Amino acid sequence: MIVTFPHMGDMSIALKELFTGLGRQVVLPPPISKRTLELGIKYSPETACLPFKINLGNFIEALEQGANTIVTCGGVGPCRLGYYAEIQQGILKNLGFNFDMIVVEPDIVDIIKQLHRVAFKRNFWEVYLAFRLALAKIHAMDSIQRKVNMIRPREVSVGESDFIWRQTVDVIDAAENLSTLRTAWHKGESELDEVKLKSGTRPLRIGVVGEIYVMLESSINQNLDWRLGNMGVEVYKTMYLSDYINGHLFRKREYLKKFKYLADLAQPYLGHYVGGHGIKSIAHTVNMGQEKYDGIIHVFPFTCMPEIVAKNILPKVSNDVDIPVLSLAFDEQSGEAGIVTRLEAFIDLLRYRRVKHHLA
Amino acid sequence: MTIRIGLPRGLLYYQYGSIWEKFLQELGAEVVVTGDTSKATLNCGSGLDEVCLPAKVYFGHINDLYKQVDYLFTPRIISVAAGQYTCPKIIGMPDMLRSNIDNLPPLIDVNLNLRQNSRSLYQAIITVGHMLGKNAISSLYAWYHAWQYRRMDQAIRYSKPNGQRIGLIGHPYIIYDRQISMNIIDKLNHFGIDVITPEMISNRQAAIAAKTLGKKIFWSNGDHMAGAALALIQSGQPVDGLIFITSFTCGPDALIGELVSQRAQALNIPCMLLTVDEHTAEAGFVTRLEAFTDMLIRRKQS
Ligand code: SF4
Repeated sequence: MIVTFPHMGDMSIALKELFTGLGRQVVLPPPISKRTLELGIKYSPETACLPFKINLGNFIEALEQGANTIVTCGGVGPCRLGYYAEIQQGILKNLGFNFDMIVVEPDIVDIIKQLHRVAFKRNFWEVYLAFRLALAKIHAMDSIQRKVNMIRPREVSVGESDFIWRQTVDVIDAAENLSTLRTAWHKGESELDEVKLKSGTRPLRIGVVGEIYVMLESSINQNLDWRLGNMGVEVYKTMYLSDYINGHLFRKREYLKKFKYLADLAQPYLGHYVGGHGIKSIAHTVNMGQEKYDGIIHVFPFTCMPEIVAKNILPKVSNDVDIPVLSLAFDEQSGEAGIVTRLEAFIDLLRYRRVKHHLA
Repeated sequence: MTIRIGLPRGLLYYQYGSIWEKFLQELGAEVVVTGDTSKATLNCGSGLDEVCLPAKVYFGHINDLYKQVDYLFTPRIISVAAGQYTCPKIIGMPDMLRSNIDNLPPLIDVNLNLRQNSRSLYQAIITVGHMLGKNAISSLYAWYHAWQYRRMDQAIRYSKPNGQRIGLIGHPYIIYDRQISMNIIDKLNHFGIDVITPEMISNRQAAIAAKTLGKKIFWSNGDHMAGAALALIQSGQPVDGLIFITSFTCGPDALIGELVSQRAQALNIPCMLLTVDEHTAEAGFVTRLEAFTDMLIRRKQS
C-alpha cells in the first residue's frame, strides 16, 4: 500500500507525517503545477469546481509516480465535495489506473476506523502518537502563518518574515517527535518576533472569507496573503486547517460556541445552512464589519454553490454594516493580471475611505 | 377581503406546485400563479449573479409577481427525504430574494426539512395555516385535501417496436419549462421520437437502480435523475439513447451528468450532454438534437 492524498495548502506535511507514522509508504502528489491543472481540466466534467479538477490532477500525477492507494474525504452534502470521490474514482478507473480509494467521512469515529485500515503493524498507542504529531504540526504551521500575515505589511526589509516562515516549515516538516517540533515552532516564533518593523504604520486590515480550499491553496488564489501583505495589508484569514479540525472533527466547546455566535449573526441574512462555508462568509462579514475592519475579500471557486448564495447576499450585508466587500471567483482562467488589478482597485478604495473617515 | 398569495412558476413549482396551489386555496387564499417563462422573465432574472438559469428564471417570476400580491409563497425547501438535500441555491433562495429586491411583500418561507424526521412537514403546514388565520386542524385538513389532487405517477409508455426511445434526463423545472428547455420534448416528438423523462419512472424503480451506485446521492433531484437514467439503460428493453439536459453552472448536475454518462458509456448507450443558458441559440440547439437522433437511427439500422 503506497498512500497518496490531495494537496491543500501545507496540509501535505501533516498527512505525510500521519501515514508514515502509521507505517505506510507515502507518495506526495507533485506540487500543483500547470500540468496538474491541465490534467485535471482535461478529465473532469467542464463545470465541476476547481478543487475537484485539481484534486483529480493530483491523483493522476501521484498514481503515475507509483501510489496505489488514495485517501480522500467524503461528506453528506449539499456541497459537491461529498460526492467528488465517487466520480473521480470512475474517471481514474476509465483512465486505466489500478488503485484503492479510501474515503474518509468527516467524523471522528469514521476517521479512526479508516486510520485503522491504513495502519500497518502499529498498535493503538503508535496510531495515537502519529495522529497527535500530525495535528501538532498543523497547529504550529497555522500559528506561524498567522503571525507572518501580521508582520508582512510592517517589516522593514521585505521578505524577511516569509524567509523565516519557509525555513520553519521545513524544520517542522522534518520534526520526528513532539519535542523537536516544539523547539522548531518556538524558534520560528521568536525569530519572527525579532523582525524589525516600521514604526508608525497602520496597515489596512482585511478579512478573507469564503471557501476553504481557495483560501488555503496559494497556487490557486494567486498567492493572495503574500500579495496583500506586500501591498501593505494585514490579512486575517477566517479559516485555517486547525480551525476546521477543532470545530468539525473534535467539536470543541469554544468552537461550537463560536459557530453558534456566527450563525446568529448571519441569521437575518441567511436563515439556513447551505453547505460548505456559505453561512460563515456572511457571518464573518457582519462580525468584521462590526469590528471595524477596513474591508472583506470573499474568495471561492467558480460555480461553488454555497458561496454563490453568499455572494448574492453579501452586497446587502456590506451595505448594512458598512464594509466594502470584494468577491473573487477563481477558475482555471483566473490570470494573475486580472486579480492584481482588482485587488489594487479595492485597496485604493479602502485607503480613500480611511482618509475620508479620518477627515469626517 | 381575501388574501392574495403569489406563486412563482419556477424551480420546485414543477414538482409540488399543484399541491401548493390547492392547499393555499383550501386555506381561503386567492392564489396568483405567474404565466409561462418568457424572454422578459429571463431579462428580469439577471438580477442574480453567477446562478444557474432555473434560479434566474425563478427570480424573474418573483419580479413579475411581487407587486401584485400580499404574500409570496417561497417555502425554504431544505430536504424532501431522509438523508437528502435540495440544492444550496434552492435552500438559500428566500434569502437571495430578500437581499436583492426592496419592498418585497412578506415571504411565506417556512422551513421544510425532512432530512432527519418527517414532522417538519406538519409543522410547516400548521405554520402556513397560522399565518392565514387558520387553526392546526383545518390546515392539516386543507393539506390532506390538496394532496388528493396530486398528479399520479405516469407509467412508461412503450412505443411502436421500431421507434426510437430516448431518456431525457434533467430537472423537472428545466425539462418542463418550455423557455428553458427550448421545447425539447416537442422537438423530439416531432422527429418521431418517444421521450421518457425521470417523472415517468417511479420512485421505487429509480431507487432500486440507484442502489448500484457506490455512494448514495445526497441531492434529492439528482438521486432520482440518476436512478431513472440507470433504470432506463439497465432495463431489459433499454432506451436507444440518453440526453442529459442541464443548465450551465448547475452544481449537482456537473457531477450527476458525468456519472450518468460514465454508466451509459459502459453499457454502450449513446449519451449526449446538452447545456443551456440564457444565451443558447435555438438553431445550434436543433442541429445538435438532429445530429444525435440521426446517429441513433443509423445505429439501429446497422
Ligand atoms: S440543482 Fe442545479 S439547476 Fe437546480 S437550482 Fe441547483 S444549481 Fe440550479
